[in-house]
Amino acid sequence: MAIVAQSSKAGRVSRATLAWIVGLLFFFPIFWMILTSFKTDADAVKPEFLIFFQPTLENYLNMTENYDYWRFARNSMITSVFATIFALAVGIPCAYAMAFNPSRATKDVLMWMLSTKMLPAAAVLYPMTFLTKSLGLFDTHFLIIVVLMLINLPVVVWMLFTYFKEIPKEIIEAGQMDGVNTWGEIKEILIPLAWGGIASTALLCFIFCWNEAYWTVRLTTTDAATLSKLIEGNRAPEGLFFGRLSAVSAAAVGPIVVLGWFCQKQLVQGLTFGAVK
Amino acid sequence: MSDRRLPRLLQTPAVILLLIWMLIPLGMTLYFSFIRYVLNSLRRPEWTSPSLSNWRGFGNYEFVLNNKDFFFAIQNSLLIVCSILFATVILGVAIAVLINKAFAGRGIVRVLLISPFFVMPAVNAVLWINMILDPVLGLQGIAVAGINEFIDGMRAAPVVGGFFSLWPELEPISFRATQTSAWAVIIMVTWQWTPFAVLIFMTSLQSEDQQQKEAAILDGAGAWSQFRFLILPHLGRPIAIVVMIQAIFHLSLYAEIEIVSRGNGNKNLPYLIGEFANNNIGAASATGIFAVILANIVAIFLLRMIGKTLME
Repeated sequence: MAIVAQSSKAGRVSRATLAWIVGLLFFFPIFWMILTSFKTDADAVKPEFLIFFQPTLENYLNMTENYDYWRFARNSMITSVFATIFALAVGIPCAYAMAFNPSRATKDVLMWMLSTKMLPAAAVLYPMTFLTKSLGLFDTHFLIIVVLMLINLPVVVWMLFTYFKEIPKEIIEAGQMDGVNTWGEIKEILIPLAWGGIASTALLCFIFCWNEAYWTVRLTTTDAATLSKLIEGNRAPEGLFFGRLSAVSAAAVGPIVVLGWFCQKQLVQGLTFGAVK
Repeated sequence: MSDRRLPRLLQTPAVILLLIWMLIPLGMTLYFSFIRYVLNSLRRPEWTSPSLSNWRGFGNYEFVLNNKDFFFAIQNSLLIVCSILFATVILGVAIAVLINKAFAGRGIVRVLLISPFFVMPAVNAVLWINMILDPVLGLQGIAVAGINEFIDGMRAAPVVGGFFSLWPELEPISFRATQTSAWAVIIMVTWQWTPFAVLIFMTSLQSEDQQQKEAAILDGAGAWSQFRFLILPHLGRPIAIVVMIQAIFHLSLYAEIEIVSRGNGNKNLPYLIGEFANNNIGAASATGIFAVILANIVAIFLLRMIGKTLME
């Protein structure tokens, strides 16, 4: 530990203090949102109640009356969960095939999949609106589920692929010797072995689905509208509803931020497509 | 060895789905970009449905290129993307180096730091533009009013009063105005994406060669030259990746623009497409094709970099 010994004690303390200040600064807006959510709408804009105020739960208790929060939350939950399930259902077989039976084209297919992710969504805005409206799918859960699944499928396949590659081929081949068919290989060998990787892929996919804010805003009106749409619709409360808007925002964001804490490592892999380890 | 055809076939659902997802809408955009197509037109009702007989060639592209909103939107897109990239990379490197060494409560600081990244973009924008940046009711307004009041009070004070009476009255900045709303977007996205940069740089710093570092210290290398000649070169690749991934994400930034600057003229490319799409589909599609080209320029570099590490 020669390095640690070299840096002086004062240096270490000031470094730690600075790190803490930076961390708290970055967290501050979230803290402020949570703090405001416990103020009444009237108190929230009064400077005298900036820090000291009579905390109240009314903003949380009235989320249904004020914003119909639970309907939007339900839509977010349904679309994100099913999109994640379908993305895994399509992604696991695909990643399995690529990791254990690669062909010369595999690399190109993977790269091509990534390239679909890089297509700017806005470029196909009107065709999507046009298609979904003429198919009668506009503003349906089904549509949002399919869209969320498709925009996250490349990341899901990619992440699963990097996890599956770590599994020794021999284990899968041993299963083949025992006469297990392909489906059995996936179900009985691959999934139990790669469980951790699959779970973190699912978690990350779910977070991305929950936070998505282009298609969920542009392809919904009421029936399938998610929390992104709800918040976007209340973009300018003009100081009247800071308290209640903070509460609904905190409720929309809180669980996801906590989930996010658990998949920091996977995030790096998932977002850089394995290019940074 | 069992038959290898079935396992390979397992890729096809994913491939076909993504193929449909990419080709059909993009093909339609390409088609619409070459025809006259508007949603409402009393004068030319035949333009309201897509048809080859309304062929316009490159007319929509010309229209877009002659539209001053288009260049403003591109300029604004680039301003927003470049400023965010600049800020997140510098902050990201600084913070990653800062918390790379162990200290008390490092785990908690990491959790605090990473949190903004998981906040949904719509909440991020609403939170910043209202609760924090609002010139009257937000923290900015309250802080500016507080400072002004303090200075006002000090003016009457003996001795130092003369000094404080030299100070001007501070004006809060309205971040909903055309000229300033791009900065509001830059601030909020930088807040959200700096954690991403920190996380990636930190992951990368952990794989740094410790022996090399110790050797450098033994050779008497100071903190700055360690940073300059060891850390920075080591971070070259992650920085390139952070830049490219963010460029792709931020070129299609939408929710933040919609929330902060709806209708005030501060547009980026996706927002302009949305505006065109309210009526002029031909122009929206041509703009869309330009957006695809812009994104592809970045994407090609990124894919090349990722491709290199892929099959290792």
